[in-house]
Amino acid sequence: MSRRAVELRLLGWPVALAATGGLAVALADAGAPDLSTVAIPLAVAGTGLALHLALRLSGSRADAVLLPLALALVAIGLVLVRRLAPGLLPLQLAWLAVGAAAFAAALVVPRDLGALARYPYTWALAGLALLLSPLLPVIGREVYGTRIWVRLGIGSFQPSEAAKLALVIFFAAYLAEHRELIARAPRRIGPLPVPPLAYLAPILVMWAVAMLVLVAERDLGATLLVFGGFLALLWLATGELAYVAAGLALLAAGGAAAVALFPHVAARVEIWQRPFADDLRFGASYQLVQGLFALAGGGLFGAGLGGGMPERIPVVWSDFVFDAFAEEAGFAGVLALLAVFLLLAHRGLAIALRAPTAFLQLLAGGLAASLALQTLVIVGGNAALVPLTGITLPFVAYGGSSLVANFVLLALLLRVSDESARARVR
Amino acid sequence: MNRTAVGDNIRALALALIALFLLTSVGVGRRMLLSPELANDPQDPRVAAVVFDRARGPVLARDGTVLAQGRPRQYAEPSLAQVVGYASAAYGAAGIELAYGAALVGQDSTDPLAVLRVRFLGARAPPGSVTLGIDPATQRAAAAALAGRTGAVVALDPRTGQILASVSLPAPDTRALADPARAATAWAAMATGADSRPLLDRAAQGLYAPGSIFKIVTAVAALEAGVLDPTAKVRVDDPFQADPSWGAYAVRSSSAAHGDFDLSLAMARSENIYFAKAALATGGARLAETAARLGIGRAPALDLPASRGQLSRSGTLDRPTLVADTGFGQGELLVSPLQMALVAAAVANGGVQMDPHHAIAVRDGGGNALAAPDGGPGRRVMSADVARILTRALVDAVEAPGAFAAGARVGGLRVAGKTGTAENPSGAAHGWFVGFAPADAPTVAVAVVLEHAPRGGEDAAPIGAAVLRAAVGRAR
Repeated sequence: MSRRAVELRLLGWPVALAATGGLAVALADAGAPDLSTVAIPLAVAGTGLALHLALRLSGSRADAVLLPLALALVAIGLVLVRRLAPGLLPLQLAWLAVGAAAFAAALVVPRDLGALARYPYTWALAGLALLLSPLLPVIGREVYGTRIWVRLGIGSFQPSEAAKLALVIFFAAYLAEHRELIARAPRRIGPLPVPPLAYLAPILVMWAVAMLVLVAERDLGATLLVFGGFLALLWLATGELAYVAAGLALLAAGGAAAVALFPHVAARVEIWQRPFADDLRFGASYQLVQGLFALAGGGLFGAGLGGGMPERIPVVWSDFVFDAFAEEAGFAGVLALLAVFLLLAHRGLAIALRAPTAFLQLLAGGLAASLALQTLVIVGGNAALVPLTGITLPFVAYGGSSLVANFVLLALLLRVSDESARARVR
Repeated sequence: MNRTAVGDNIRALALALIALFLLTSVGVGRRMLLSPELANDPQDPRVAAVVFDRARGPVLARDGTVLAQGRPRQYAEPSLAQVVGYASAAYGAAGIELAYGAALVGQDSTDPLAVLRVRFLGARAPPGSVTLGIDPATQRAAAAALAGRTGAVVALDPRTGQILASVSLPAPDTRALADPARAATAWAAMATGADSRPLLDRAAQGLYAPGSIFKIVTAVAALEAGVLDPTAKVRVDDPFQADPSWGAYAVRSSSAAHGDFDLSLAMARSENIYFAKAALATGGARLAETAARLGIGRAPALDLPASRGQLSRSGTLDRPTLVADTGFGQGELLVSPLQMALVAAAVANGGVQMDPHHAIAVRDGGGNALAAPDGGPGRRVMSADVARILTRALVDAVEAPGAFAAGARVGGLRVAGKTGTAENPSGAAHGWFVGFAPADAPTVAVAVVLEHAPRGGEDAAPIGAAVLRAAVGRAR
């Protein structure tokens, strides 16, 4: 059986998930099926079929499991939007269509995937510009105390999601070209290899950008994501854990300095460390505290869709969708959800393993790692295991920028997979 | 380009990600399954929903009289409104209904399997019950004696710390709060009654200047410090200044006295100058230390909210005039009736102070004891000798000819007690009485406060007597 045939069969599962979840939520909410009960499974089935057809038409021999896994997450996401913010469901469905279109476009442009590596600094500039664009006076917007939105004519979007992709492409291209020099550094300080200054510069620039994002945009999520993704790629390229350690030390030092210098960074840490303090629980940490209550209310098997009270968490549909899922699906559901994310990341790393060139290896590895890191950072934040950030749970949380960016990420992974399948045939 | 080297690194990264996902799963699992303190937090709307949706067990008096039962809630004793409290989905919960809410709705259980069923499967346990130390006859006597006034009465057993009666007036209409048809207007009346503040439990949370009843504390401090001979005569000449640096300020005698006073006469006539001199001889540090030991400035370990009060704004007595003023109960002192009842109870119990508590038994739905709150091991806050000397002086304060607290006399019963008339910045003086009985083997201690009483302590003493009469001799 061809990979596409396997994919088509597997796509039945996300559709079943959407149908049962959508029905359960409508019954709990309205007592009877409504339009959403049909719309959610239809949207998942339609998106699945469309993307499947797009892969067939492009003659792809790519991995068969990635698309069904991602659509399972999309199905859970739509059910949760219906559960937590039914008024936003039409908008999210529209974003799903945009995401599918972006996926299809990324399957054919550029024609040669290796061409992405040709202009690394263009990607770097694009990534940095996107990352820092919310700081611009006219288009940048501050929402809930973080400056991570850009408003352009038709609507607002979070450029950090697109920046994530551009920067992963840049890192992969740059490191594929220079990794030997960075890895085989001529000098060492203790365990730490010291590459020539010219090659060290990008690391320091990335660190500076990460710190700027943290302090100026108050966007801890993008900081962790960009810098973490960079460190993961640096490790993949060089195999030097010392670089990762040095990078983490830099991040910790910069973070400590930011905590000492900037009250809004210190407040984030304070909320994470003692959310239940009397002076915080009704104020700054109210949202996190309500999220933790939702987690604790979940138990082993959860309250059932529509049975919990996750709507008590402010902005639950975008920031705390994981806690809402946990309350109603229980710890059993959480393990299943995390397993889907881990499988997705692992499928991505497996693709990286078989990729024909170092650039494609690093690209696939970087994309998979950034997806996994994003999941860990927001899940950990929702459970107060790490400081809370404003990034989204990939494919699940409400929000257009994230959904579109992650569909492009998915398309890039599938294209690397296709390249290796073709290379093997040749 | 070396692909294989990158391949090894990819495998290592995959293992690292697996490890991170496992760590995160463990962390999330701990929050979801092993955080009972999270699942029982009153701020959690789920806890509130469970608490107000479920059947609630009864609140009982010590003899089994039902004080609260059923759903919607029926409250039997309006004078216990602040103690028993209320439990309303719309207006929250207070009092015993809040403090023992988990037991009353069956969330607490002695059976660990039942606890697991509740936690993991949402099973509902039968509701439990709470028994209070309230003695209905004493409670009714206190309510009748205080009727129509603004103030509080609290009576407790000095040997155990069990609270026998607690009345605070005006009281909120918790019966109306339990009736969906009347709840909204009742709540509006309670919440906007800013002057009378019916929701405040004046017995444990009201804060007043103590006035002359604080002279008991001054006497304890002076006797323990060895600077006061209870039988020695002390010369009193109104007005009194320790030295000229006091300027225009002087301590005034309660009876414009010129004469010699011993401890008993000073207690009977409530002689300010006698106790100002005793306080100055003791010194601010030792007086502060004794007051703290007796519980002034510290919230009593009650199972309901209780105020801490203050010895002074700074917590210390660092000026001679403040020492003298504090010595006869003015200065910057603020105390609750419960705190002063505990001072009287310590004298009554031979110098050992027990922790006050309302609940004496908490049971789960099967009738098994979840908790049996008691007064703790007791703290010795004064020597037995000092307690004996003070008991004698406080009996004289009631029985001696011309005693200010004569209104506390009860035929056939030796009562020890002290009245107080506390000046305060908000209007006419507050009237106080603290005391205990029977003086030779006390079984009940009482504190009474009357806000803005026309005749001060003289108004409060008969109320204390009525409560003592009702409580003594009840088999306990």
